[in-house]
Amino acid sequence: MLKRTVSEKVVVRWIAAFLALAVIASACGSRDDDPAATETADPAPVASEDTPSDPPEDTPDGTEPGVTTPEVTEPPEADVCDVELEATEIGVTADTIKVIVMADSDNPLAPGLFDGARDGALAWAANLNERGGIACRTVEIEFWDSQLNQTATTNGFLRACSEALALVGTTVLFGTDTTDLTTCPDQAGNPTGVPDLAYITTEVPHQCSSVSFHLSRPGVECPYEGGERDAVAAVGAVQYLLEQNGGDLRGLFLVPGDLPSTTVSAIPQIAGHEAIGVVYDKAYGISGLDPQSAFTPYVATMRENDLNFVYNGSNDAAMSNLLSEAADQGFDVDSVTWLCSLACYTPSYLENGDKVEGTYVWLFFLPFEETDTNAELAAFMDAIDTDFPAAWAAGAWGDGILFEQVVNQIVEADGPNALTRARLLDELRATDSFDVNGWWGSADFTSTLTTADCFVLLQVQNNEFVRVFPAERGTLDCETEPIPVTVNPDTFTPDS
Amino acid sequence: MRTSGLRPSLIFAILASLGFLVVVSWQSWAGNTVTLDSLLVATIAGLSVGSLYAISATGLVVVYTTTGTFNFAHGGIGVFSAFLYWELAENKDGIGLPRLFALILVVLVVAPAIGVFLDLILMRRLRTADLVVQLMVTVGLMVFLLTLTGQLWQADQARSVGFFWEGQGFFIGEFKVTWHRYMVIVVAAAIALLLRLLLYRTRIGVAMRAVVDNRELTALNGARPGMLSSFAWALGSSLAALAGILIAPEVQFSPANLNDVMLIAAIAAAALGQLRSLPLTVVGGLLIGLLQQHNAQWLSHGADWPFTRLAIAPIVLFLVVLALPQARLEVGRVATNLRPVERTTNWAEGAFGSVALIVVAIVLANGWLDFGVWDPGPWNQIALNNGIAAMVIALIGLSLVPLTGWAGQINFAPLAFAGFGAFLFLKLAGESGNALWIPVVGLLCAPLGAIVALFAARLSGLYLALLSLAFALLMAKLVYPHPKIFPTHTFADLSVGSYTLDSRYRFFLALIIVFAVMMFALVLLRRSRFGRRWVAMQDSQAAAATIGVNVILTKVIVYATSAALAGMAGVFWAISKNSIDSGRDFELLANFEIVLLMAAAGLAMPAAALFLSFRFVIEALGGRLDEAGSFGPLVWFLDSFLAKFGPGLLAIGMVVNQRGAVFEMGKGFAPLLPWRRDARRELALERERGRVREIGGLGLTEPFTGEALLEIDHELGVVDDITPAEGYRHAVHPEVADV
Repeated sequence: MLKRTVSEKVVVRWIAAFLALAVIASACGSRDDDPAATETADPAPVASEDTPSDPPEDTPDGTEPGVTTPEVTEPPEADVCDVELEATEIGVTADTIKVIVMADSDNPLAPGLFDGARDGALAWAANLNERGGIACRTVEIEFWDSQLNQTATTNGFLRACSEALALVGTTVLFGTDTTDLTTCPDQAGNPTGVPDLAYITTEVPHQCSSVSFHLSRPGVECPYEGGERDAVAAVGAVQYLLEQNGGDLRGLFLVPGDLPSTTVSAIPQIAGHEAIGVVYDKAYGISGLDPQSAFTPYVATMRENDLNFVYNGSNDAAMSNLLSEAADQGFDVDSVTWLCSLACYTPSYLENGDKVEGTYVWLFFLPFEETDTNAELAAFMDAIDTDFPAAWAAGAWGDGILFEQVVNQIVEADGPNALTRARLLDELRATDSFDVNGWWGSADFTSTLTTADCFVLLQVQNNEFVRVFPAERGTLDCETEPIPVTVNPDTFTPDS
Repeated sequence: MRTSGLRPSLIFAILASLGFLVVVSWQSWAGNTVTLDSLLVATIAGLSVGSLYAISATGLVVVYTTTGTFNFAHGGIGVFSAFLYWELAENKDGIGLPRLFALILVVLVVAPAIGVFLDLILMRRLRTADLVVQLMVTVGLMVFLLTLTGQLWQADQARSVGFFWEGQGFFIGEFKVTWHRYMVIVVAAAIALLLRLLLYRTRIGVAMRAVVDNRELTALNGARPGMLSSFAWALGSSLAALAGILIAPEVQFSPANLNDVMLIAAIAAAALGQLRSLPLTVVGGLLIGLLQQHNAQWLSHGADWPFTRLAIAPIVLFLVVLALPQARLEVGRVATNLRPVERTTNWAEGAFGSVALIVVAIVLANGWLDFGVWDPGPWNQIALNNGIAAMVIALIGLSLVPLTGWAGQINFAPLAFAGFGAFLFLKLAGESGNALWIPVVGLLCAPLGAIVALFAARLSGLYLALLSLAFALLMAKLVYPHPKIFPTHTFADLSVGSYTLDSRYRFFLALIIVFAVMMFALVLLRRSRFGRRWVAMQDSQAAAATIGVNVILTKVIVYATSAALAGMAGVFWAISKNSIDSGRDFELLANFEIVLLMAAAGLAMPAAALFLSFRFVIEALGGRLDEAGSFGPLVWFLDSFLAKFGPGLLAIGMVVNQRGAVFEMGKGFAPLLPWRRDARRELALERERGRVREIGGLGLTEPFTGEALLEIDHELGVVDDITPAEGYRHAVHPEVADV
C-alpha cells in the first residue's frame, strides 16, 4: 500500500503545478509566433514607405525599372458588388468566403514542420482583406493541422468539404486517401469535391487528385497505377553547370529516402540529368535520421571515383553533413560542384558558414533578397513576419494569389454570385499560365505532366545567397525546356 | 551462482551472428575497393560513433546498476540537455555563452539537477513497484521530455550544433581525425575507466551497488540510500546530457531523431554488458559503431532494405538478448510486492458492459442524447473518422491484456503483430475486402506469437521487454519497409457477402461490435483455466510450475492468443488507414503510445483499452468547444496541453496509481452497485488500514519505540488495541471476524 505524508503530497502538488506552468509558459511564449490557428486572418500590417502601394516617383507609372506588377489580381469594380450577395456555395456567405489552409505541423517527429505554409496563407488572407477582399466579400481562413498522419489529413479534407469553398496552400505528406476530397458534395448536392490549391504533396493519390492543383508542378503522368510512368524533369540549373564544367559532371545524387513517395520523386530528376549528360556513379538513399558519420562512405566513393558533382535532392542537413564529412576527411571540396534544390535555401544552411561556401542552390521563384524587383514578392515579404521565410510560406502565398486570380475571373465573367466549387475547378483546370504575378516561373495546370521550367541559380558567397544565373536581378531563366523521361518507380533502386 | 565457460546459447548466438554476417556480406557486397585508407576511414569513424553510443550506454548502466531502474528516459534527458545547450551556446539570437562554459553548465549543473529532481519526485517511489510500472513511468517520462523539447524548440526553425574545434584535427594518411571525434573516443574511454573505479574502488561506489541488493541492510551499515540514489541519478543524467551534446553535431537535430540515435544503440550496448559490466558496455557501443560504418562502407542492400543502417543496433540487441542465460526461476525470495487477491469480472457483468458499450456508441453517434443545455447532434464524418481511429487502436490495445496484463509478459511491439495481420489480409483477401478472412488471419498470426514465445520463454522481466523492443524495431526498420510486404496498395472496404461497410458509420459500428465481442471473450478467458494459469505465471513462475503448470506451453498459448487478437485488429487498422505506410506506421513511438496508455489505464482490464481513445476524445472535445466559442482557455488546455502532454503525464502518474486509472475508477464505482457487497467490504477495510501508520521504515528511518512495536503487532493482526492501559488482548481482526 502506497502512503504519502502531508509533506509528500505538497511536493507532488508543487511538481504538478510546476510541470503545468512550465509547459503553459513555454506554449504561451510561442503563441506570439503563432499567427492564430482557426481564426479570421489578422489585418495586414500597414504598408511601409517602400511597399508597392506607395510607388516611387522616378517612373511614369510609379514602379521601379524592372519591377513586374500584378496583372490579374485586382478586385472587381465596385459596381460588380451592387447586387444582393448570396451564399452560393459551402463556405460562401453574403459577407465571407471561407478557405482552409492545411499543413503538417504538430507531430512527434518534427513539431512545427510546415508551419511556414500556415504563416504564408494567413499572411496572404490578411493582405487580401486589407486590399478590400475578394468577390465583394472578406476571406476567412482556418488552419487545419494534418499532423503528419493519415487520419488528421483525411479529417482536414472532411473539414474542408463541410466548411470551406477551397483549400489554399495545402502542404501535407500523407494525402493517401483523397476519396472525400474529390467526391464530397457541394451545396447543390453534386459530388464535385473541394478545390485544393496545394503547394507540395508527395503521395500519388494526392498528386493525381482531380481537384488538386500544385504550384510546384509534380511533372508526372496521372492517373498512375504502377509500372512505367511518363514524367518531365526541370534541368535548367544542371544544364547551366554542365556547360560551365565543359560537359563533364560525374557525381552522386542524394535521394530523400525516408518515405517511398519522396524516393520516387527523385527518379525523374535523376533520369532528366542523365539525359542531358550528367553521369551519376551512385544515387544514395539518404535518411533524415542519418548522422554525419553515415556520409563517410559517400566521401570515399567520391574520392575513389574522382567525382566532381553532387546533387542534393534531400534536405539542407544532408548537404551540410556531406560537406562536413568531406572536409573532415581532407577531401578537396572545392574540386566538386555542389548543387542543392530549394531545400537548402534556408538560414540554417548559411549557419554552416565556410563549410557551405561556394555551393549552389536553385529556385523556381525570385529569391527573397530581390524584393525591389517584383511587387508580389515585396508584398509577400512585407506581410510575412520574418526576414527569411520558409519556402512553404512562399508556396502558400502563391496558392493564395492563384485563388484570387480564378475567383476574380469568375466574378468578372458572371458576377460575385457565380462563385461555386464547380466554377472554381473549371477555371483552375483551364489555367495554363500562372506565374504569381511574375514572382515564379509560369505554371500550367491543364496537365500534371508539367513542371517548373524557370529557374534562378544562387551561390553561397560570403555567407549570403548571391545570384549567379541569370545575372540580371528580377529575372528567371526559362530557356531550358524540361526533359521528358519515362521512369519506372517499381524497379528504381537507390544505393545504400 | 555464476556459470563459467561458454554457454551453449552463447556459442549458438556467436555462430549465428558470424554466419549471418558472412551471408549478408556475401549477398550485399557493394564491390568497393578495399584499401588501407578506406579501412582506416570506416574504422575511425566507427570508433567515434561507437564511443558516443558507449557514453550514452554507460549512463544507462550506471543508473540501472545503482538504482535498479532501467531508464528509458535516458535519451529524453540527453535530448532536452542538448537543446538547452543549443539555446545557451549555439542560438545566434540567444545569450551566446562560450561552448565550453555552456557544456559545463548543462552537464555538471542542469543535468544533475534534473536527475536529483527526478529521483526525489518519481524514482524513489518506483523502488518496490512492478517492473511494468517502472518501465512505463520512465517511458512516460521520455515521451514527456521529447514533447516538452519539441514544443519549446519547434521545427519551424532549423537548428544545428557545431563540432568542438570546428573541424580542426590531425591526419592519419589522407584521413583527417577531427579533434572532436578524437575527444569523443578519449572521453568514452575515460568515463568507462573512471566509472569502473568509482563503482568498484570507492566506498560510495560500493555503497551505490549495495543499495540495489539490499537497501535496508546497506542503511544499517551507515550508508544513506536516499543520497546515494540521488547521486546515481545525477551521474546518469550528466552522462545522458554529455552524450546528447556530443552526438548532436552528428545528426539531424530533432528531438525524436536524437533520441532514437542515443537510446537504441545505447540499450543494445548496455545489453551486451548485461546491464552491469562497464567494459563490455563500451565494447558493445564500439562494436555497433564499427558495424554501422563498415556496413555503409562495403555493403549495398538496395532499395528493398532502405533502413538497414538503422536496423543494426536492433539486430545486435536481439542477438544479445537471445544469447543471455536462461532466466532462473525466482525461488526462496520473500515477495515484497504481492498482488492482492482480485475479484474477476463475472460473465453477466462482462455481457452487460459489452452490450452497454454498443448501445452507448449508437446513441452518441446518432446524437440521440440531448444534454438539455447542449444538444451535440449526430456525429459528423470527422467525428466518425476519429471514432474509427480510436476504436482500431483500442482493438490493438486489447491484445496486451492477456499477454502483459495477466501473464506479465511485457510487449513493446503491439503494432508489429498488428502489421503482420494486415500483411496476411493483404495477401489473402487481395482486392476483395472479404471479412471472412479475418478469423483466418487471426489463426495464422497465432504461430508468429508462438515463435516469439519460444524466444521469450527463456527470458523474463527487463530482458523480455528488451526483446520485444528489438522485435518491434526489427519489424519496423527491416521487415515491413520491404516493398514486397506492403507494396503500394489501397485496402478495399470490408464486406460480408453483398453487404459492404462502405460508410464510416457502418465501419464504426462494426468496430464497436467487434471490440465488445472481444472484450466479452476476454472476460470469459480470464475466468477460464487459461486465464488463471496466466495470472499464476505472472505471480510466480516457480509456484505455478510447482503446482503443475507447464510454463513454456502457457507462455506459447498466451503469446499466440495475443498475436491472434493483434493480427485481427491489424486488419481493421489497415482498412481504417486505407493504406499502410511501411516507413512510418510502425515507429517505436507509436508502439510506446499504445503500451503507455494501456498501462496508465490498467493493463489487466479489457475495458481499459477504451482509454486509448484518449487523444481522439480530447481533440474532439476541444474541437466541439472551439466551435461553441467562449471556451478559449479550456480549448487551449485540451488541445495544446492535454492532447500533447497527456500520454506522458498519465504514464508518469502511475507512480501514485500503479494499477491504472480504470482500476481506480472501477474501485470507486463498484461499491455503488447493489450486488457488490465485496467492493463495499474492501472499501471499509482500506479505510481501516489507512488509519494505521506505515511501519516499513522502523529502525531505519523511524525510531524503534515500544509504541511502534505495538503497531507491528496490530498490523500483523496479533492485537487490535494498542492502548497500554488496557494491556494486550487477542485480536479480533476485521478480516478474521468476517471469515
